[in-house]
Amino acid sequence: MTHVPAEELESLALDELPRDRAAQVEAHAAACPHCARELSWLRAEQTLLARRPPAQTAHLWAGIAARLRHPRRRPHRAWRISVGAAVAAAAAVVLVVTVRPRPEPVAPQATRQQRERPAIDPKALAALDRAEADYKDAAKVLEAEYARLRPRLDPEMARRWDETLTRARAQLGESRAVAADDVNVRMRVLDGYAGYLRSLRDVVQDSEEAIP
Amino acid sequence: MIFDREAPGVRRFLGDLLRDDAAADEGTQETFVRAHQRLPTIQDPGKLQGWLFGIARMVSFEHLRRKRRDALPAQTVEEPVQVDQAPSPEAVLLSAESDRVLDGALAHLAEERRAALLMRIDHGLGYGEIAAAMGWPLQKVKNEIHRARLQIRASLAGYLDEGAR
Repeated sequence: MTHVPAEELESLALDELPRDRAAQVEAHAAACPHCARELSWLRAEQTLLARRPPAQTAHLWAGIAARLRHPRRRPHRAWRISVGAAVAAAAAVVLVVTVRPRPEPVAPQATRQQRERPAIDPKALAALDRAEADYKDAAKVLEAEYARLRPRLDPEMARRWDETLTRARAQLGESRAVAADDVNVRMRVLDGYAGYLRSLRDVVQDSEEAIP
Repeated sequence: MIFDREAPGVRRFLGDLLRDDAAADEGTQETFVRAHQRLPTIQDPGKLQGWLFGIARMVSFEHLRRKRRDALPAQTVEEPVQVDQAPSPEAVLLSAESDRVLDGALAHLAEERRAALLMRIDHGLGYGEIAAAMGWPLQKVKNEIHRARLQIRASLAGYLDEGAR
């Protein structure tokens, strides 16, 4: 038996075929175990993907509109200095971690755990601690700025910003919970802080512009 | 409004590519800012969705390139596995864990392969639109989507096999 081309089965699963052709392919699949199985897989994949919850995007428009209104806008006020310092600290960490000496070779009799986790350069760890502390300080400044602006915001806007920050904080918390003393994981925590600071920066900038 | 209509799909696509909600939010904003700047250059307004996904794909890859400098190497299952003897697709749908397994299977696909597959089966873009968005020849789009499917099915079937033991 000649099988239906895979792309046509796919078009049927995605409901893209003209009705007449769809009926022909369905009839073929009903009599052809190979095509029937392929069609079942295609529909299963589609169903699994389609039953995921839709993405929420309403909270994103204000940030886009603000960027379109002020395409070259830069952070301003006192908190700009704190954010700049935190970013500089993070850059320094990248430098320290990437140029640190290679760890000593691990002896053959070392345990598996020792082989998988080479010794950590104390300088790299100290730099990570400093950068994380700087990020925390910068976040505190921005959080305080948002707290100052928030009472003057439209309540619906404030609620959306609160949701944005809660989500960013939750993600940061997840990465922090698994951090331990692993340089690569700690670097990812810094990425998490950077993401949180970006969210805070957007919220504070958009809040400032929204207040008459 | 274009944003209202297209943003949920773009955000979902970026969430699947970046696997980080804050980064996907930011990537969605960046995509629409760039789209606004380039809107006069669009050749065929009927293919707006594919055009937007092409921008989103560039935004995500730029983000991942920056992130990859310091991250652990991504784990990918490169070679497709034959699954003709595997459990049925219906069993996959009935499994309580199938959503989680699907999510894990998607995460293990190479990023570009994942992008092509999702454009096709999650967002309904045609092969020509995917080729334009990815900057690939049409045949490569077909090959990559086929391989992505085999990997996904192997993961789902493998999970069910484990559950049956």
